[in-house]
Amino acid sequence: MVMKNPDVEFCGYCITHPSESKINFRIQTRGGLPAVEPFRKGLNDLMGVCQHVLNTFERSMKEYRAQREEEMQ
Amino acid sequence: MAAKRGTDEMRDRVVLGEFGVHNVHTTDFPGNYPGYEDAWDRRRFEEAFRVDIIREEEGALEFDMVGIDAAIANAFRRILLAEVPTMAVEKVFVYNNTSIVQDEILAHRLGLIPIRADPRLFEYRNQGDEEGTEIDTLQFQLKIKCSRNPQAAKESSDPNELYFNHKVYSKHMTWVPLGNQTDLFPDADFRPVHDDILIALLRPGQEIDVLMHCVKGIGKDHAKFSPVATASYRLLPDITLLQPIEDEAAEMLQKCFSPGVIEIQNIKGKKVARVANARLDTFSREVFRHEGLKNLVRLARVRNHYILGNY
Repeated sequence: MVMKNPDVEFCGYCITHPSESKINFRIQTRGGLPAVEPFRKGLNDLMGVCQHVLNTFERSMKEYRAQREEEMQ
Repeated sequence: MAAKRGTDEMRDRVVLGEFGVHNVHTTDFPGNYPGYEDAWDRRRFEEAFRVDIIREEEGALEFDMVGIDAAIANAFRRILLAEVPTMAVEKVFVYNNTSIVQDEILAHRLGLIPIRADPRLFEYRNQGDEEGTEIDTLQFQLKIKCSRNPQAAKESSDPNELYFNHKVYSKHMTWVPLGNQTDLFPDADFRPVHDDILIALLRPGQEIDVLMHCVKGIGKDHAKFSPVATASYRLLPDITLLQPIEDEAAEMLQKCFSPGVIEIQNIKGKKVARVANARLDTFSREVFRHEGLKNLVRLARVRNHYILGNY
């Protein structure tokens, strides 16, 4: 998500130790923009994606079930 | 034109070669391909993304997700396995266990039994709370005693005839409402998902009398809380024939793939092969073992089309 931002020059992560819930995240921008901005934008975009996936999935399930009801009748 | 087709292939197909897999990683990030708009565009994503449900049954769901990146599809898979809460038996109070199964083994088995209860109706138990209240605990009882059947034939050796209740199944678990749970859930039917899970075997005189507390938990804590038997995905196969294949070669080609993938049509008297339904293929790569066929077919997978479910 952060990589899809054209202002980001480098982005990477690593997990320091599997037992700890900690991730080292590194973002480097092309100069000018503070690195927190692409991170914040990436998180917001990710929330938007998940919400859209949920809505699409619910809609498809409803259509599928309605279609099955029709076929049964 | 050929160059554009090449980059298109690099961008949205994962190619299976004879000795390895190419183009595995996602490369469509802004700046990588001149002339392509790769920056994140929410509207473009929402227009391209779709979910197609193929099949829904009591315990299985098969559906397709098209237009999403590998990292996000994988994240959904991992969340399904580890972070969706369910109810499962956590504490077992053993009042009497004279069976051959040790207490801790019995408790372990009871914990793994899936419970039909909507976890959204319950709260997580507070840390350090040993007793449990009615909003975070579901109580079950298993009380069963094995006895000899006086009507059994003298010489029979079939345990089904000789004994009553010698097999303890999950259907013998009964829900014991706590506090005001009878008012909160008047129509609820809390029981194990499957009735025929064998818990223990008994002989006459042995009995099991336990009380179980179920709590809400997630798979990351203990695998018994994982709601799915498994959740996995595969990418949609994409088989292209680079040249027309006829006659004997067509027959051999059909045998190389799973049934239903390649069909043979009769055009002007000659048998010509055609890809009918690439989705059914399991990619055994049998075609690479035949010298004459291996350069005539391109095996690939569509990078952003995920098929989730049983195959």
